[in-house]
Amino acid sequence: MPTVTIDGVPVEVETGATILDAANKLGIWIPTLCYHPAISPPAVCRLCMVELDRGDWKQLVTSCNYPVRRDIVVSVSSERAVRARRGVMKLLLARAPESKALRELARRMGVDGTPYPTVTQSQRDCILCGLCTAVCEEVLGRAAIGFAGRGPDRAVAAPFRQPAEDCIGCGACAAVCPVGTIQIRIHEDTNEIEISPFKTRAKLLTCEQCGRRIVSVPVAEEIFKKLRVDWEELRQRARLCPECRRKLTGATLGLATKSAGKA
Amino acid sequence: MTVLETKRLSSAADLARVRAELRGRRDPSAKCVRVCIGPGCAAKGSTKLYDLFVQAVGEAEADVEVEAKGVGCHGLCERGPIVIVQPGDIFYQRVEEPDVAEIFRETVLGGRVIERLLYEDPATGEKATTADEVGFYKAQQRIALAQNGVIDPTSIEDYIEAGGYAALAKALSSMTPDEVLSEVERSGLRGRGGGGFPTGRKWRSCRDAEGSPKYVICNGDEGDPGAFMDRAVMEGNPHVVLEGMVIGAYAIGSSQGYIYVRNEYPLSVERLRGAIERARDMGLLGEDILGSGFSFDIRINRGGGAFVCGESTALMASLEGRPGEPRAKYVHTVESGLWEKPTDLNNVETWANVPAIINRGSDWFAAIGTERSKGTKVFCLVGKVVNTGLVEVPMGITLRQIIEDIGGGVGDGKAFKAVQTGGPSGGCIPAKHLDAKVDFDQLTELGSMMGSGGMIVMDEDTCMVNIAKYFLDFLQDESCGKCTPCREGIAQMRYIVDRITHGEGQPGDVERLEELAELLEGTSLCALGKTAANPVMSTIRYFRGEYDAHILEQRCPAKVCRGLFLYEIDPEACKGCGVCAKNCPEQAISGEKKAAYVIDQEKCTRCGTCFDKCPFTAVLKV
Repeated sequence: MPTVTIDGVPVEVETGATILDAANKLGIWIPTLCYHPAISPPAVCRLCMVELDRGDWKQLVTSCNYPVRRDIVVSVSSERAVRARRGVMKLLLARAPESKALRELARRMGVDGTPYPTVTQSQRDCILCGLCTAVCEEVLGRAAIGFAGRGPDRAVAAPFRQPAEDCIGCGACAAVCPVGTIQIRIHEDTNEIEISPFKTRAKLLTCEQCGRRIVSVPVAEEIFKKLRVDWEELRQRARLCPECRRKLTGATLGLATKSAGKA
Repeated sequence: MTVLETKRLSSAADLARVRAELRGRRDPSAKCVRVCIGPGCAAKGSTKLYDLFVQAVGEAEADVEVEAKGVGCHGLCERGPIVIVQPGDIFYQRVEEPDVAEIFRETVLGGRVIERLLYEDPATGEKATTADEVGFYKAQQRIALAQNGVIDPTSIEDYIEAGGYAALAKALSSMTPDEVLSEVERSGLRGRGGGGFPTGRKWRSCRDAEGSPKYVICNGDEGDPGAFMDRAVMEGNPHVVLEGMVIGAYAIGSSQGYIYVRNEYPLSVERLRGAIERARDMGLLGEDILGSGFSFDIRINRGGGAFVCGESTALMASLEGRPGEPRAKYVHTVESGLWEKPTDLNNVETWANVPAIINRGSDWFAAIGTERSKGTKVFCLVGKVVNTGLVEVPMGITLRQIIEDIGGGVGDGKAFKAVQTGGPSGGCIPAKHLDAKVDFDQLTELGSMMGSGGMIVMDEDTCMVNIAKYFLDFLQDESCGKCTPCREGIAQMRYIVDRITHGEGQPGDVERLEELAELLEGTSLCALGKTAANPVMSTIRYFRGEYDAHILEQRCPAKVCRGLFLYEIDPEACKGCGVCAKNCPEQAISGEKKAAYVIDQEKCTRCGTCFDKCPFTAVLKV
């Protein structure tokens, strides 16, 4: 197993693990936005930059997807690495100045504000990290939302910027959104769930007993399609705690193949 | 054109026999008119000239044997359309439709040279009868472009006759893949697409990588503003690209190749497609090439018009049918590229150099150029230079030789200011470095880069801040928007440079640009973002004074940025016609007929209407 030395502290990781994995193992915090354990890292927010020591030269790399294949020496706290991460954060703050979650993360990184004006804003407070599109495609297998436009005009959108037919109103995109831009709205009058800002709506399934809202109808249908009754299995499940039971259900439904993650 | 019966060649000897046969049929005193139908000349109507020559040939007496041939780019696009008459290699430039009959009668049939159509050296006034005598060609050395302007790109016979596919035959019949690899390694060939990575080392990494199948790709997604080197090769000599690719595939151990051509080059696609079909018919591509047992085929894919698809991982994503966006290259594409298989990607010009290296040996190639940059490089010499066009020069030539000796210097009596090399990722090099040697390392040291070979010459009327803005505009449009620094950083830089060109720059703006440049260079995902700040940084490095003049004095020294200079009427030149006053939207100009007019600077909004309208160029920028 290769050894990663971060800020002078060595740790062994599996071949192919990332620098971020190694840092997590050591309890060293590296800020991330577009990273989520349930999806393959797109490495686009560039917030998790660290400095890789290549002997005769040093290189900034993204820790979330840099694969460890041999012994490496990494600096998280070097001046250059800190300046790079803060610089990226300042650009993000200029793009999404009103996001509370982003400002909170910035403060934790020692960034009080941004010197830059807001010059690109194709979508209010969206930092285009792509977690929502990735979770929709990779985990849910729906791809109801994706990227539209290029460069500064890039935006997350459903096809033709219309409410997406493929959206099942599961809300996973809102759950993974690191800056709180995607929101779930419940419309009491029509008993619908809306995924904002995509304007997609779905009817909600309510409890037949108490009328409490459970989940969107299309999500329930998806689950019913995959659900089969097996008494023996139910008996097994009854022996599990709620958390492990959820994991097992997820595995049975073929959802959380990678990890349940923080969502 | 000598057309062979379509016949599969089953061995290297077979190919040699056919070549001998083709050469035997060629009468050295045969009459031939070669009309350039490359991009530059074609834009000036050369295809019509070609048709007229074909017609003239058809109408000639039965006993006169003349061939009219459409050939690829000669290079001297400025003087196009270019027509060369054989025998004698007579070089005619700026040929127009009415000249065709005269050329046919006088030169082709009569053997007399038409003085009027010859190239005249602007400095000495001397006339050149052949291309070799033209200053533009004297300092050039052609490897990739050797057959450009000589052979008919639609004729595989022409290519074979000129020695084409001999390198392939040599490689397949007498060299092991490893020997081919070593030969390319020893030649010192480096990637001509911009990065300058050693080609042989790339091939070896791909060959040694685990996984199969292995893919070979030709990058023909040329997109730098003002660059058309790869296009000239693909359209002027498509077989040399194919031959290079088959040799590379043999060395690497690949059986499938792709050529990725930008969609804006329909003629390149057509020529390559035709070449692939002919090569397949003759057993030079496809199954069991030249009876060697080695099989390799090529498919063409057209790009969708995104500049970033010239970047290797974005190109591969596009080939796979996904959006053309780059990905991290911590695992190199030679290990995991197209469909996560080992993939070797080289630029058109790189591939075009391979046959010559195999034919003539690595020692020959390595003897050309500088210590770490071997061979030649094709440049597109454009901008404010007398002879614009396509040039191929040995590495190590100086910028001055290219611009002054080949390019004929800056025109219109203006002074040279800078040369921009390397496209949007490159930088502007000022006059004091004109004697720098052109190679990968020198250009990088000067804050620019070799890039794919664009070379834009700028004269004293060019505002360097405005140039920086132009490239930022280009890059902002072409950024895919995937990663934060490139998407946001370029937009921030553009915002700052834009306000500087409007006279609203603030002290500290240059430092802000430098800070953003460092951020982009260090944190962007792909080379587009990493190098995006180069045009800004190189202009700050060499023309800091111009930035300061804009920011601190609200003055554009080159008098380009509107509002940052004044208009005045030269009383000596003014004839008092009153056109300026009549057209001034602000009524800021007054005067009496037949006397000098005057601009009221208080009222003037610097719109430039008077400057454009004055028939006597009496309105001056000051």
